[in-house]
This record gives sequence, C-alpha cells and structure tokens, in this order.
Amino acid sequence: MEKEKLESLLIDYFDGQLNEADRTIVENELAQNESTSKLYHQLQQVMNLMDHSTNVAPSLSMRENFEKSLQAEISKSENPIESSAKGKQVFFTNWMIRAAAAVALIMVGVAIGRWINTTRETNQAIAELKEQVEANKKAMLIMLENQQSASQRVMGATVAYQLPQADDEIVNVLVKTMNEDPNTNVRLTALEALGKFYQQPHVRKELINALTAQKDPMVQIALIRLMVQMKEKQVVDELQKITRQENIMKAVKDEAHVGILKLS
Amino acid sequence: MKNTSELIPDEQIMEAVKNGELQQASLLFDRYNKRIFNFLRQLTNDSMLAEDLAQNVFLRLIKYRNSYRDGNRFQPWIYQMARNVFADHYQSVKNKMGSHVDVEKMSEHISDTEENHDEQEQLLHRSLARLSDEQRELLVLTRFQHLKYEEVAAIMNTTVANIKVKVHRAIGKLREHYFELEKG
Repeated sequence: MEKEKLESLLIDYFDGQLNEADRTIVENELAQNESTSKLYHQLQQVMNLMDHSTNVAPSLSMRENFEKSLQAEISKSENPIESSAKGKQVFFTNWMIRAAAAVALIMVGVAIGRWINTTRETNQAIAELKEQVEANKKAMLIMLENQQSASQRVMGATVAYQLPQADDEIVNVLVKTMNEDPNTNVRLTALEALGKFYQQPHVRKELINALTAQKDPMVQIALIRLMVQMKEKQVVDELQKITRQENIMKAVKDEAHVGILKLS
Repeated sequence: MKNTSELIPDEQIMEAVKNGELQQASLLFDRYNKRIFNFLRQLTNDSMLAEDLAQNVFLRLIKYRNSYRDGNRFQPWIYQMARNVFADHYQSVKNKMGSHVDVEKMSEHISDTEENHDEQEQLLHRSLARLSDEQRELLVLTRFQHLKYEEVAAIMNTTVANIKVKVHRAIGKLREHYFELEKG
C-alpha cells in the first residue's frame, strides 16, 4: 500500500473514523506487518502529544486591558460627534432649563450605568433591563410631547441626545419636534439630538428634508452647519437655492454660502 | 446548573454587540479568551507575545464589529481574525528582520524562553517549527484546538476533504521530523 494512503488510514484508525471494512484492513496490516505497526506507534505518539498539549490560562491583565478598551469604545460610541455637543449651553439661558437638563443627565447616567452592569447578568436581568430602557424611553417621549412645558420638551430632547442609539419611534418624534415645535430652543435641542444619530440612514434623510422645510433661521443655520459636518454634498443645490431666495435672512444666506464653499 | 446566559449562542451575542450592545462583548471574551490565547501561543510558542496578539484579536472584535455578517458562524469568524492578527505580526517581524527570516530558528529560539516544557513537548514544538506555516496552523487548529474539519474548512474557505488530506499529510511530516530530531 502507498505510504501516504497507509498513513491516512492509520490516522483515521487512531481517530476512530474508519468503517468496519477499512478497520479490518488496518488491523490485519498492523498484526502482520512490523513496519506498519512501528509507523502507527510513532503517529500515535505525536498525535497524543498534540491532543493532550497543556492549555494554559492567559494572565489577568489581559482581561483588565480588554475591559478598559471595551469601556473606552462604549463611551466613544455614545458620543460620536463631540463637537456638536459644544455650544449646547448657549441655548440653555434659563436656569430652570439648565437644572432640568442636569437632572436629565443624571437620570441618563444612572440608566446607562444600570444598563451596562445588567447586560452581563442572566437573561432575566436582560429582560428587566429592557423594561427599564423601555420605561425611560416612554418617559422621554412623554416629556417631548408635553405641550404645556417647553422646558420639559427640552429635557426630553436632551435625554434623547444621551441615548446610545435611537429607534424609529424616537427619531420620528424628534423630527416632528424639530420641524413643528413652537419654541426655538426645543427645535434646536431636537436637531442636536438628531445630529448625533445622523449615521442612521433614516435620520440622515429627515435632516436633508428639513433643510427645505425649515423656516426658523436659528434652526436653518444649525442645520447647514450639521450638513457641513456630515459632509453631505447632495445639499449643495438646496443651499444655492437658499442663497437666492428673497425672504430668507442674510445670516442664513451667509451660512449657506460658507456651506457651499466647504462642501464643493 | 448552567447560567442562562451560557445558553445564548455566540452568534446571537455577536449580533447584539453589532447592534450597539457593546457590553455583551464581555461574554464572548469569557468564552473565547483562553482558546484564542492558546491558539496564538501554539503558533508563536511565546506566551507574552500570544497575550498581546490575543488582546488585539478582541480589540478587533469590538472595532470591526460591523464586519460580522448576521447569520454567519461566529467561531470561524473569530479564528479568522486571530489568523489575520498573527499574519500581520509575522509580516511586521519579517519586515523588521529583513526579507529572509528563518522561522524554524526563530521558533526554536523562542521556545528556549518558555518554561515548564517537558522534553517531549519541546521536541514536538521544534518539529512543528519545521513544518510549513500552513501545515503548522492546520495542526494547531485541528489537534491542539480540537476544531472539527468542517470548522477549519469554513475558516480557510475550502472543502472538508481538502482539509483532511492536508492535515493527514502534516501529521505524517510531523512524525518524520519528530523522530529525526529524537535520533538527533
């Protein structure tokens, strides 16, 4: 028998992978042929050594480093646009709104902290966590839709801004708030929250649409800046239209000019 | 009794990681850190280096989470990543040391720094170092890591029959080197 074929049969024999007929052939060969028997014992020796090679545990520092990197990535994914967070306080001139925003931040911190810790636990814990997130989401949507209080709506939009990601329901409410809310601060905060999620295609589309629909100069300027930040070249035509329209404020037109220059 | 989270398939956890539940990556680390570390340790014969490389594998898992395709098996994916990390390291060593690196000498030199190796295991690693990169990797995956031929075929993007033939040849070669070195 050819050596390679014999070796292959012997390896399968060792691994218990042969059918009845082949196993008989190998056993006869082993009984009758001394060189085959020697070959088998040698193969057996190296395979045993490999199969029972010592597996060692890595040091604890590997886990520590992994956890550190993971936490860093989690923070990064929660704040993808650092710059859009800057300038946020400009609109929070009212101390009540600022206090409300601070409370909202603490709430979100606690919610996220809980969320992070709990995901490592059992399924039941994950289910509870989902309920918790769902409850937070509901509370946030109620705040956003509170027609009586602009500060509540700002707080709602601020909570949305702190979320790691937004589902369609949240996005739709934020879009509605950005386009229809009677208060400029609320509209701007909703826009900032949406800006954080601009990588989600649905959000991106809504932001581009808002550029045409939006009539509030403050929001228009913020939107144009966001388009530049998003490197959204397809809005250049729209920006050009803005520069030509008569009923649009000069400050908005200037911002549109800057946008065209940066995007072209 | 098993913790219920242990029953969740790797794939489901990885999909959650991909969808933003990054903390779940810890579960995958728990399941795979020892295996990936040992896979790399057996390839490099150097525990310190293997730890650094394994660390990189898990960093890539987080960083490139979006490259994981839903529905694909997780295990071949993470082993593929470990192979890439090893290949990148090997390439950078090669670049630093010039175009002709004697892998056997490198590996034999490294193995001298390892402790707790009994004589037979030392001999085994010196024999492994004499195999081609592909043969060594195949043996590490199938015999040291106990992966099935089907799983290795998925990692290497080839057929089970092809893997089986190659593994058998590699074992044959290893036997030759081992007993040559033993005669010494």
